[in-house]
Amino acid sequence: MSNESLKILIADDNDTDRMILQAIVKRQGHQVVAARDGAEAVEKFRETAPQIVLLDALMPRMDGFEAAEIIKKMAGEELVPIIFLTSLTDAESLARCVDAGGDDFLSKPYNQIILQAKINAFNRMRIMHSTLQEQRDQIAENNEHLLQEQQVAKTVFDNVAHMGCLHARNIKHLLSPLSVFNGDVLLACQKPSGGMHVLLGDFTGHGLPAAIGAMPLAEIFYGMTNKGFNMTDVLREINQKLKQILPVGFFCCSCMIDLDFENQDIEVWIGGLPDAILYRSSGEIIRIKSNHLPLGVLSTERFKTETYQYEMGMGDRFYMWSDGIIESRNISGDMFGESRVLDLFDRNHVPEQLFGEIQSSVQQFIGEKEYDDDLTMVEVAMMPESELGLEGSQVGKSALIGPVNWHFTYEMRNETLREFNPLPLLLHVIMEVPGLRTFSGQVYTMLAELMSNALEHGVLGLDSKMKETPAGFAAYYMSRAERLKDFSQGWIRVSVDHQPLEKGGVLMVRVEDSGEGFDYEKFESKSNLNKGYCGRGIPLIGNLCRRVEYLGKGNIVEVEFEWRPE
Amino acid sequence: MTDNVTHVDLNALAELKEVMEEEFTILLETYLNDSLDRIEQLKSAYAAGDADAFSRAAHSFKGSSNNLGVVLLAQYCQEAETQSKGGDLSQGQQLIEKIENEFEIVTQQLQAHLGL
Repeated sequence: MSNESLKILIADDNDTDRMILQAIVKRQGHQVVAARDGAEAVEKFRETAPQIVLLDALMPRMDGFEAAEIIKKMAGEELVPIIFLTSLTDAESLARCVDAGGDDFLSKPYNQIILQAKINAFNRMRIMHSTLQEQRDQIAENNEHLLQEQQVAKTVFDNVAHMGCLHARNIKHLLSPLSVFNGDVLLACQKPSGGMHVLLGDFTGHGLPAAIGAMPLAEIFYGMTNKGFNMTDVLREINQKLKQILPVGFFCCSCMIDLDFENQDIEVWIGGLPDAILYRSSGEIIRIKSNHLPLGVLSTERFKTETYQYEMGMGDRFYMWSDGIIESRNISGDMFGESRVLDLFDRNHVPEQLFGEIQSSVQQFIGEKEYDDDLTMVEVAMMPESELGLEGSQVGKSALIGPVNWHFTYEMRNETLREFNPLPLLLHVIMEVPGLRTFSGQVYTMLAELMSNALEHGVLGLDSKMKETPAGFAAYYMSRAERLKDFSQGWIRVSVDHQPLEKGGVLMVRVEDSGEGFDYEKFESKSNLNKGYCGRGIPLIGNLCRRVEYLGKGNIVEVEFEWRPE
Repeated sequence: MTDNVTHVDLNALAELKEVMEEEFTILLETYLNDSLDRIEQLKSAYAAGDADAFSRAAHSFKGSSNNLGVVLLAQYCQEAETQSKGGDLSQGQQLIEKIENEFEIVTQQLQAHLGL
């Protein structure tokens, strides 16, 4: 029983009826607003906003039917129960009451118990209705809010993710066209030294939790790849970041590849995704099984970076996918499954068409049904780097303000020389020069050559002549490894200087080492600079730089690289 | 009164007295006054040959009579309403007389009830 006191409107033109009803309702503890006809009832309703209305059907001026319609309209979405007071009993009259918006009838003579029961029942209904409406509005509002947030997240993510080179001619990819972020990530980026990193990730969950992890993943992937870090460094950093920021139980199943167009090989790291496949133009199929936990699971100390390495000839293709493809289901709930995928490889005759064959086969399989998971798949083919259709770097072209006139010296000593690769750090500083990133490949090549010369020939004192024969080449690297292991004292000092020109600038690099130096005058007079393995670095630098000069006892080299924006 | 017919349902009246408390007297007086109006309405509707107005007055009279436990009068009003609803006023005069006579009796009983 509800003890709540309600405001109840009673409209009846018959004085005695109204008096009786009013007395009954008041006795039940409610407040009464009385009206003598329909028009007055409407007016009183507007003035006093009662919660329940008792309306006589037949009244002068405006009858109960008309008043009920007006009152229901005025109440809008709020439920104001209208109970008709009537001694009419024929079906037609009762139907009119219902049509007019009446919720119930009360017939004369009035019965206290029945009236009380009706008032209480309608009050419960009224409260339930308003609760439902509040909750409905709340849910609608929350839902809209959620969708909006997810769309923002997806937009931000798309902006981050699409900086890359997914449009390269050797890449075919499929990403679900869902409007909210679905947890799948596909990133591709050229390396400054040539080659390409591609990463496919499948975050646990959808929407915001997945998007939160995807942002730093993309940032790290592009940032580090652009700065010349190698794949395992990138993976280690992503893993550490995800482990740090994602709650337990959230992680990213991933597969990352490092594609080397020059040496025509591929390096694969795979953790938690279905088998990737290397499909050779000869028809050979190599399945590459996940041998790691997903990114974001293990701590840095326990994270492993072993990779698979394969030669990859022109026209060989590499496939990776999220479990969406293999686990997609048809109407009867069967999974597409790995064997169907492998069948497609077996039956394929024209490798160029395989990607499309897989795609249409999956779509045919699931039929008209909506995608219930994310169909993400990518094919990466080996082709000459010059045919990729990528002009310059896709990343960070916008920054036109930045340091252009500066100098720094960085000296590495002893164990640091053995354990530390300074190239990413140096490149990071140098690439802050606006516009210079387009030349990051050349700058990287130049620095890499100068650094390895200083370390190998300078500090470690290895003779470049050893590399003149293939057998010597191997011996060279063996003794390099040995000397590096035993090495305890030495230094390399790198000085980098950048000065702006009207357009572009001049980058000067001076590398000095603790080694013996060499008779560079004799070296420069030699005509065999372009021959053999040993001369490979310096002529390359000579082609890139406007000045290459050895100084001192041959332990100092200075180069000047002049660049102009395209 | 010596007849055995129930003119006023005394149980209903007692219940009403409990509900209305001090307003009970006013209720009965209002009923008696309103009923005189209803009878006038019936008469003028009959005189004008307006079956519709006749029916509506009878309907209303029936409702309030029922509410006060004035059961026989309510029954006569029901007869009047039913007959006139189809446009038939042929029994109008007899019906008005029946209603007037019954109302006399009811008035006496109610006034007696009020101790007037």
